[in-house]
Amino acid sequence: MDLFEQRKIYSVYEITSEIKKAVEKFGIVWIQGEISNFKRHSSGHIYFALKDERAQLKAAFFRNSNLYLKFKPEDGLEVLVRGRISVYEPRGDYQIIVEYMEPVGLGSLQLAFEQLKEKLRKEGLFDEARKRPLPLLPQKIGIVTSPTGAAIRDMLRILARRNASLHVLIYPARVQGEGAAREIVEGIRYLNSRQDLDVIIVGRGGGSIEDLWAFNEEIVARAVCDSRIPVISAVGHEVDFTISDFVADLRAPTPSAAAEMVSGAREDLMATVQSLQGRLVRAVRGGIETRRLALERLARNRAFYVAPGKIREFQQRFDEAALRAAQTIHRRLARARQREQVAHTRLVKLNLGQALLHRKEIVAGLSLRLTTAVQACLERARARTQMASGRINALSPLAILERGYAICRDGKGQIVRDSVRVAVGENVEVKLARGELFCRVNQIKEN
Amino acid sequence: MELKVKDFESALKSLEEIVTRLEGGDLTLDKSLELFEEGVGISRFCNSKLAEAERKVEILMKSAEGNLKEAPFAAEEENPEA
Repeated sequence: MDLFEQRKIYSVYEITSEIKKAVEKFGIVWIQGEISNFKRHSSGHIYFALKDERAQLKAAFFRNSNLYLKFKPEDGLEVLVRGRISVYEPRGDYQIIVEYMEPVGLGSLQLAFEQLKEKLRKEGLFDEARKRPLPLLPQKIGIVTSPTGAAIRDMLRILARRNASLHVLIYPARVQGEGAAREIVEGIRYLNSRQDLDVIIVGRGGGSIEDLWAFNEEIVARAVCDSRIPVISAVGHEVDFTISDFVADLRAPTPSAAAEMVSGAREDLMATVQSLQGRLVRAVRGGIETRRLALERLARNRAFYVAPGKIREFQQRFDEAALRAAQTIHRRLARARQREQVAHTRLVKLNLGQALLHRKEIVAGLSLRLTTAVQACLERARARTQMASGRINALSPLAILERGYAICRDGKGQIVRDSVRVAVGENVEVKLARGELFCRVNQIKEN
Repeated sequence: MELKVKDFESALKSLEEIVTRLEGGDLTLDKSLELFEEGVGISRFCNSKLAEAERKVEILMKSAEGNLKEAPFAAEEENPEA
């Protein structure tokens, strides 16, 4: 009865809650074991069991905790986890809620690196056959890197030193820390969207494995693989290898080396082109020279001595024949011309006889009329001349004096036309038709 | 003459082929002169590509509208220790 009185009855939930409280007293624990039955839910939560030879423990690794996990947990992997033991009440399962996980042996980054490398290798992304050669003579290159890092400075210094005639386009991207991988991917994709680039260099200077980590991210590796434009991966120092180095068309040990790779060829190419030009000219000259020599050899052949003689003979005979023909033609022409001329002369003479006679008559008539007309003209002219000279005589002062007039001049030789111009007693000269009178004025009568 | 080649690699390759064929010497005179002419054209193209010098450094800047624009990039070459 007492037993009955004493008994305490739990509901399933109550006892589970009690167990949960008891279990959670362990607080934070570290457990090492092998992963088995690994499942990633679409929500991002991870469920698995940790086991060793004799036991296993269920584990839940929620999304917000596993988000920054670098490596990929998988069955069989020995890991060390940190978490709290708890009870999932709906199932009555006790489990560890994992907050942190790291691989045992390798560092987690190292493991992640190996895992991705293995995965991509299996996909064939490292195959040499996939890799494209760099263009011999890049004209314009794109660089995805930090604009403030050592890498870009080193590359530009090398390009300047080598006097590389390159157009460089920089896509500024963060190369370490949160979001770096995303920016590098965007850079590679953007540069691929352009049509003017011959090569892309992706890289950064040296640093720790954490610093270089972006270049080990799968999205970067895939962007490098997908690049239409050949990619040079130039990350860190010579000893640093990243996944992007393996997938790139070319790995440069350092950014400086990448700059040398894209700028080295110009001088060599100039020499190559020049030597090809020389060979081109020599080959053609050689071809012509060979033919000339062959021709000379042939020309020395006896057959060509005989033939020219014959040709000359033919030539001569032809010339002679041609000459004879020409002479015959000339002679015939001359004779024909002569005959024609005789006939022509006769014809002309015949016609001229008639015409001359007729014209002579006309000319004789005309000349008679001309003479008569000229004589009449002369006669008229003579008569008019005589008349004119008679009138001129009549106008001459001498002719006037002849008619009885006189000219009176005063002592100064001025002609006196008015009686008031002279005074009584003044001497005047009077010119007559013949001779002069020197007179003194005795009286003046005004008109 | 219209050049068939557009890029330096293929130009150099066909120039090499032409020279090799010419040096082979079993071509007709007409053919060899034709090849010679083509070769001269290609080597001129190669030289012009080698001479095309555009030394320029630009950086992409995001404009207010979010478009990428090229801008001159001043390298700190004078101060490598910075």
